[in-house]
Amino acid sequence: MLGFLLVVLLIPYLIAAYGLLFVKLRWGLRLFGAFIVATIGLLTAMFLVEAYPIIARDGVAVFFQTRWDPVRESYGVLQALTGTVLTSAVAMALAMPMAIGVAVTINEILPARLRGIFGSLVDLTATMPTVIFGLWGLFVLGPFLKDAVNSVSRYLVGDDVMTSPYTLFTAGVLLAIMITPYAAAVIREGYALVPKPVEEAIYAVGATRFEAAFIKLRYVRNYILGGFFLALGRAMGETVAVAMVVGGNFSRFTTNILESGITISSLIALQFPNAASYQYMVPALFAGALLLTLFGLAINAVAIYIIQRGQI
Amino acid sequence: MAKVEFKDLRVSFGALPVITGVNLSIPDRSITALMGPSGSGKSTILRVLNRLLELYPEARVSGEVYLDGQNIFDMNVLELRRKVQMIFQIPNPIPNLSIFENVALGLKLNRLVRSRGELFKRVKSALEKAQLWDEVKDRLGAPAGKLSGGQQQRLCVARALAFEPEVLLADEPTANLDPENTAKVEALFLELKKEMTIVLVTHYPPQAARISDYAAFLYKGQIVEWGPTRDVFTKPRHELTEKYVTGRLY
Amino acid sequence: MTAERKAEDITAVRMVINWLGLGLFALLGVAAVVPLFLIIGDVYVKGIDAINRLGGLWHFLTELPPTPLDERGGIGPMLVGTLYMTALGALLGIAVGLPLGVYIGEMRKEKFANVARAGVNVLVEFPTIVVGLFVYAVMSLAKEDLNRYLLGPISNTISPLGEWIPWFIGPLDGFNAYAGAAALTLIMIPYVALITASAYASIEQPLREAAYATAGREFNALFIVLRKAVSRAVLTAALLGTAKIAGETAPLLFTALGNLYYASFTGPTAAVSLWIWYAAQTSYEVQIDSAYGAAAVLLTIILTIFIIARIRG
Repeated sequence: MLGFLLVVLLIPYLIAAYGLLFVKLRWGLRLFGAFIVATIGLLTAMFLVEAYPIIARDGVAVFFQTRWDPVRESYGVLQALTGTVLTSAVAMALAMPMAIGVAVTINEILPARLRGIFGSLVDLTATMPTVIFGLWGLFVLGPFLKDAVNSVSRYLVGDDVMTSPYTLFTAGVLLAIMITPYAAAVIREGYALVPKPVEEAIYAVGATRFEAAFIKLRYVRNYILGGFFLALGRAMGETVAVAMVVGGNFSRFTTNILESGITISSLIALQFPNAASYQYMVPALFAGALLLTLFGLAINAVAIYIIQRGQI
Repeated sequence: MAKVEFKDLRVSFGALPVITGVNLSIPDRSITALMGPSGSGKSTILRVLNRLLELYPEARVSGEVYLDGQNIFDMNVLELRRKVQMIFQIPNPIPNLSIFENVALGLKLNRLVRSRGELFKRVKSALEKAQLWDEVKDRLGAPAGKLSGGQQQRLCVARALAFEPEVLLADEPTANLDPENTAKVEALFLELKKEMTIVLVTHYPPQAARISDYAAFLYKGQIVEWGPTRDVFTKPRHELTEKYVTGRLY
Repeated sequence: MTAERKAEDITAVRMVINWLGLGLFALLGVAAVVPLFLIIGDVYVKGIDAINRLGGLWHFLTELPPTPLDERGGIGPMLVGTLYMTALGALLGIAVGLPLGVYIGEMRKEKFANVARAGVNVLVEFPTIVVGLFVYAVMSLAKEDLNRYLLGPISNTISPLGEWIPWFIGPLDGFNAYAGAAALTLIMIPYVALITASAYASIEQPLREAAYATAGREFNALFIVLRKAVSRAVLTAALLGTAKIAGETAPLLFTALGNLYYASFTGPTAAVSLWIWYAAQTSYEVQIDSAYGAAAVLLTIILTIFIIARIRG
């Protein structure tokens, strides 16, 4: 009944909000604001409700256990959590330098005519469907990384270290390519806002362009931090591309990034189709979703806070 | 030989000409004032001299500029900026750096000192000359953005003086300061001219009359008149000059 | 003498470091953009080849997807599903996102507006699978009652009016196109809201005051007089948002689920992005080929929207 009411009341709510726009504009606008706040609240509440069965049964052990054993109805998301952390770490380590590189390239190196085009290319990368990134990762990047890493390792230790093209490392590299534009957009914006008088001061004391870029990057470090958290939030939440290249290793716990693994989001995506057949899997997956929600909320909130504080 | 020589300097921003043929000699160890109404090109001339104009890609420069006989466009720009320092109209310390770091920045970048002790000595001496040392000596690590306007400008003066430059370019440095700080800066310039050449852009003829040795009157991108200050003010040869120094031209 | 030489050496070293350092930055910047070309190239080369082998463009856009044993196939149902859900999602997303953006952009002084703004900021790059899961949860909760009390009676009344009606309106399955569209809407709303908000926020105060003074009612001021000032940004937001949701996969996984046939929108619905997701992970070559073909079609749609947005914006 509750769900029914929810859906049914939605339509009159929106119609009322629209109507109010014409009569009492401000209240109409406020109703739209309330809508978004209510959505977030409802989302968190629903996940708590759906995850309740397994939290009631296992407590918070579901977050710390490493075994994902549907047959025994024993679920732990720790290896997925570890996978999320590892892939995000690899992705951020590769993405931040590239994002800073993009900001400096656009603002310091490129002539004015090329700046718009380059910027559009970076933005286009952000608009590309993630499933196409996954497709490319599946058939091009994965095999390439396997060959590249193994030829290096054969040279160094005489053996292949990456047995499958689909590993946490592959997912991390693919993620890096996908999240760079997000961090780059924020850093670019901040960098372009460095005031002209400050720029003149930096050059007047005899800095080279490279040295000046460094000083400016220091000046916009709030934006760099903000871009960092924005990209991190994106990396932790990305599902489809990661699911296609991470290897789907549900059973074995590993911290070796050159092995196949799993992340929380790809766990949900890959296991949900099975979930109806088991009693506790759906709640377990919702518990994972709850975790992802809390991460997403926290990280995005931090990112916004940092960017806004720097703007004052 | 004059310290600085401009020969047929022309500057345009895109299609708009700003300086249309300037010939000027700046004598050593003196204060030369560049005065003229807004838009006459005074600040542009200053920015040519330390090649800061290169930050404006639309600017086209032709002509020759000599520092001690050397063409500044043939010099390495870093070497030029070691010798020619600038103070701006609106104080522009780098706000997130500390007071100490602001003064030390140029010295560190250009490797002008060889030890932390030497760095500290030069920063202290620059701040003392700029008459800021006493006010900040207990908080050298505080961010420069927290200083008052007058203090920030003196910080920028210290930043320039730390180089022990040969030429000091001042772009309307007291335009945003109160009379007390203005007097301090003017007194400072009178002291400094014994060691260096000062080129002062001023919007305010009485200031030129007060402290400069030579004055050049710039109007619509051209030097209308130039000579010892006393002559320019008391016996101007051009009607425009006379109108300007008596405050009837802006 | 030596001091001069040392100064020159130091300068020379700094210049070398300058070129190396800038070169490194440039390399990193280019590295960020190179994969884009690699991906577009790979998708088009393999995709166009695949479309040709699977029956040519027209057939590909209209036929049913290939089974593992087929030699030809297409993405007809997928295209229809994507178009329907994207259109719905975009329309609703703009319909809600625009007023929301006006609220948080214009009424910044209100405390609640800042709360709403924080909410929007948090939702804008939320993991999309979570959004899909949320709609799934609401859907499963509401489905039975919804069908029994609302959709059942409605569809009984109006379906005699036309054979096409049950394709659009009727009792909903657990997985259906409207759930998919709802998830897409939830993703589009914060995006449109943010861009609208910054468009309104960047209106200069004099213009805003003039609008309020001449327009009489606030509604007229905000939506009619100031329309021109913000329309460019809002249009760009609408276009780019649509491109974004057209390519989304994760939110559709548990809402629309996917389908291999032309089917009613009240049941599981196909989408191009979903097909790529499923087909690429099979081991059948013909299906992998069709995934590439689908990717080429999807990419073309998105590139077109992107270029239109860039040219008009």
